[in-house]
Amino acid sequence: MIKIFIDEKAIEVEKSTTILKAAEQAGIDIPHLCYHPAFPPEGTCRMCLVEIEGLPSLELACSTQVKDGMKVSTKSERVIEARKGVLEFLLAEHPPDCPICDKAGECSLQDYYEEYGQFENQFNEFKEKREKKVKIGKNLIRDMERCILCRRCVRFLKEVTKTQELGVFERGIHSEINILDGVLVDNNYSGNLAEICPVGAMTDSDFRFKTRTWFLKKGESICPLCSRGCSIFIEYHEGFSRFTLPKRVYRIRSRENHKVNGFWICDIGRYGYSYIDENRIDKIIVNNKEGGETITWEKMVILLAEKIKRLYYIKKTSRIALILNTWLSNEELFLINKIFRNDLSVENIYFTDPPEGEEDDLLLTSERSPNKRGAREIGLDLKPINLETLADKTDLLLIFGSFMFDQFNLAEIKSALDNIKMKIIFATHSNEMNSLVDIVLPMSLIAEKEGSLTNVDGIVQRFSPVLMAQGECQPEWKVLVNLAKELEINFRYYSQFSSPEAILDEMGKKISFFEKKSE
Amino acid sequence: MIKALGYFLEIIRGSIITTRHFVVNMHFHFMKLFRIKTKRKGAVTIQYPEEKREIATRHRSLHRLMTNKDGKPRCVACMLCVTVCPSECIYVEAAEDPDLEVQKYPSTFIIDLSRCCFCGFCVEACPEDAIRMDTGQIEFAEYSREDLIYNLEKLIG
Amino acid sequence: MSETIIILIKVVCALVWFLLITLYLTWVERKESAVIQDRIGANRASILGIRIIGLFQPFADAIKMIFKEDFTPRFSRRFLHNLAPFISFFFVAITISAIPFGDVLRIGGQEIKLQVMDINVGLLFVLAMLSLGIYGIILSGWSSNNRYALIGGMRGAAQLISYEVALGLSLIGLIMVYPSLNLSTIVHYQGELLFGWLPKWGVFLQPLGLLIFFFAALAETKRIPFDLPEGENEIVGFFTEYSGLKWGLFMMTDFMEVLIVSTLLTTLFFGGWQVPWLAADGFHFPWGSEWLLPHGIVVIFQVAAFNIKVFFFCWLQILIRWTYPRFRYDQVMDLGWKLLIPLSLANIVATAILLSI
Repeated sequence: MIKIFIDEKAIEVEKSTTILKAAEQAGIDIPHLCYHPAFPPEGTCRMCLVEIEGLPSLELACSTQVKDGMKVSTKSERVIEARKGVLEFLLAEHPPDCPICDKAGECSLQDYYEEYGQFENQFNEFKEKREKKVKIGKNLIRDMERCILCRRCVRFLKEVTKTQELGVFERGIHSEINILDGVLVDNNYSGNLAEICPVGAMTDSDFRFKTRTWFLKKGESICPLCSRGCSIFIEYHEGFSRFTLPKRVYRIRSRENHKVNGFWICDIGRYGYSYIDENRIDKIIVNNKEGGETITWEKMVILLAEKIKRLYYIKKTSRIALILNTWLSNEELFLINKIFRNDLSVENIYFTDPPEGEEDDLLLTSERSPNKRGAREIGLDLKPINLETLADKTDLLLIFGSFMFDQFNLAEIKSALDNIKMKIIFATHSNEMNSLVDIVLPMSLIAEKEGSLTNVDGIVQRFSPVLMAQGECQPEWKVLVNLAKELEINFRYYSQFSSPEAILDEMGKKISFFEKKSE
Repeated sequence: MIKALGYFLEIIRGSIITTRHFVVNMHFHFMKLFRIKTKRKGAVTIQYPEEKREIATRHRSLHRLMTNKDGKPRCVACMLCVTVCPSECIYVEAAEDPDLEVQKYPSTFIIDLSRCCFCGFCVEACPEDAIRMDTGQIEFAEYSREDLIYNLEKLIG
Repeated sequence: MSETIIILIKVVCALVWFLLITLYLTWVERKESAVIQDRIGANRASILGIRIIGLFQPFADAIKMIFKEDFTPRFSRRFLHNLAPFISFFFVAITISAIPFGDVLRIGGQEIKLQVMDINVGLLFVLAMLSLGIYGIILSGWSSNNRYALIGGMRGAAQLISYEVALGLSLIGLIMVYPSLNLSTIVHYQGELLFGWLPKWGVFLQPLGLLIFFFAALAETKRIPFDLPEGENEIVGFFTEYSGLKWGLFMMTDFMEVLIVSTLLTTLFFGGWQVPWLAADGFHFPWGSEWLLPHGIVVIFQVAAFNIKVFFFCWLQILIRWTYPRFRYDQVMDLGWKLLIPLSLANIVATAILLSI
């Protein structure tokens, strides 16, 4: 450990850290554009100049390592003057088109200009016209006028994905970031380029012009689209009081989490958010009743509990079957295991999951559901469905999710389900499956509920609701706890579960895997 | 007693004032009836729908969207007006313009005048001088709230 | 037979005159207040685009009142609630029958008195009928099942009864001067001359009586500055729970009272239909010259004089209504009991002394 002084504040840092990182630890903000913590410093933007006592010139905070007793000042007049100068040069060719730039509002250049900017133009020359809108990737649009040549994108493709589609072409004022021979940036992590670009040079065509960044609210969540469970920010628009918007979620961005995903997320998670708003159901639907009678959740749970109790008293719980999926959280799977397998000794528990997909060696796993590991750790074995035995042996079928479609076609499912007396689906989206069953119960998504997921590496991650549940949607754990209470088999035990946190504590006591793993 | 007398005198003075007003105004009204020109009218009020007062140039009246020479809206859908609007009465949806110089244009631009408080912030916020409140139009009452929701065509035209 | 027809015609003429003037008093009130306040006033009511400075306004008001919902509050005494405005209206409207509009009209050998009924106790009749109007106020306040209306009604009753005393006492001096209760006789007395040139009008013989009568009568009309029973704009009065035509009747009653007060003032203190120096055969000016006129012209002169005087006092009352703010309730009571009644008693004594000399 060595001691340095930044702005007359004594800080102890480890050897061979840079001044920028040391200042970050001390809570001192040094402006920077090209520096990104994921990559080694490059020093192209010159924004992070600081004054070091004893040195004649200003030094780069991002690449200068600390020395014992070093005295750094980040707010001296010289430094401020230098920042102004750097900004002036950066903006010499940068167009003032913030009104149509998607980055506006979260643009570092814009922020620094507001703070330090040279507000009077000293140039006589006009800004050079360059290509404004060039598609250079699956979802990427490049605007060469706005580029400040920080090379973050180039470094990302070189060091993270190692695909190296982008490079700096030409020299001097003509330098530009470009692709070679028209080969588009087409890897599964290209969405990160728009995110790390400090200015609006690289914009995301998925988000382009949809809304402005300052309208969006950020909520921390976990990506449920593969078993990696990357940490994400869900950025959503609350809407205006007068005008309702067609959707809530506008984009997904990565959240720094070094245990799981580092700084990045894959494009599948980034662009696969439309399921949150599209085709959702928000009402309990009772199919075989005529006239669309409405039924409340309380009545629904009592009805369900009575059905189960009847089968339980005539010792026919073997006629109950469950079709689960691994989009359910640890707590919900634990409750199902507890209620149906332990209390009611139901044996017919099957799993349906989205089909496995490609995996890559960075983040994406082949399992396209978030909680397979959790199900295994709880002790459920992931039995696939056998439609024929299911149809023969079942009176009451509880289906969670509609992933059956991924394995069977509609006719097969229909013929199998027709033999079953009572079919209830816990569904999030409206699809053909809902017309095959008797009762459709609207469920919250992971973005709307609380709970925890176990990722492929066995890391248990807790998540909290980001979006408000729509209509009558309820989280599964709540329905299950209410159902368990209504069954009156072990009322006192289940009434302690007022939140997923309480369930997770109980899980920690019962299952050694979940002991002190909640995060 | 003196107080009471003073009170009485004030009462008379008051009625003299109102009587003077009555007589003077009636004089002017009769002059008008006989088509004789006078210095002023019998009433300081104006007969609104027939007579109208001139609107000051700085008066904030109905909004309008400015257009470029080619007739397209000058607005680039930066949504600063949406952001600054205190009554949340503006709704803008942006779309991609094939013209690379423009890039972004408003595909829908709605002002809900039933909510608008005519503060003029949108005009001040606009970086493109695309919205103005200088039409001088102050009579846009409607029979239904829906008619007060002005869309792009109505705002340009 | 012909007597009956004549009486019927008189009744119809008096009523039409009375109601029409009342109707247009609403318009006059609006216009006069507007002129006083430098405005133009109601001028929008039109028939087929013809406006004529808003002369159709009373009809528009009437149509509006007729078509408004006639609302009776729950738990109110429905019958009394409906009856109250009619009582108010009736007792004011009937007083017009005792007022002389002119002297006698001779047509074809028949002498027609221009007065609906010439009763000996005309003055008492008018005062009695005006007092009975209080019932309307109390009934409306009480039957509305609204405590504000009830309190308004009580305020009204207290105020009216208080001023009733001053009103009656102020006229005693007058009765002493013109020893009659017959209104037409009083008017005839006022045709005589004092010192050979001054008409013997009440205003000259009973100036203090006039002032007391005027104030008390203003209070009787329940209009600003004495509008405590109603207090339309803030204190909530006895006809709060009325709407539509029944409310309109109360409003009409108000204007009728203005008109009745004006006719009484004219009749008692300003010579009624008398024109100065005009006898039955023409003018006899004090400086000796004469201007003889036919009978018909004289009658027209008399009726016109009566009308002009009445209109002037209507105008004056409206002017007062649009000039002064409302009294506080204790001020109203003070004025009535501590000022007007002692003054009227003094007036009686003074008159008696002067007469005995």
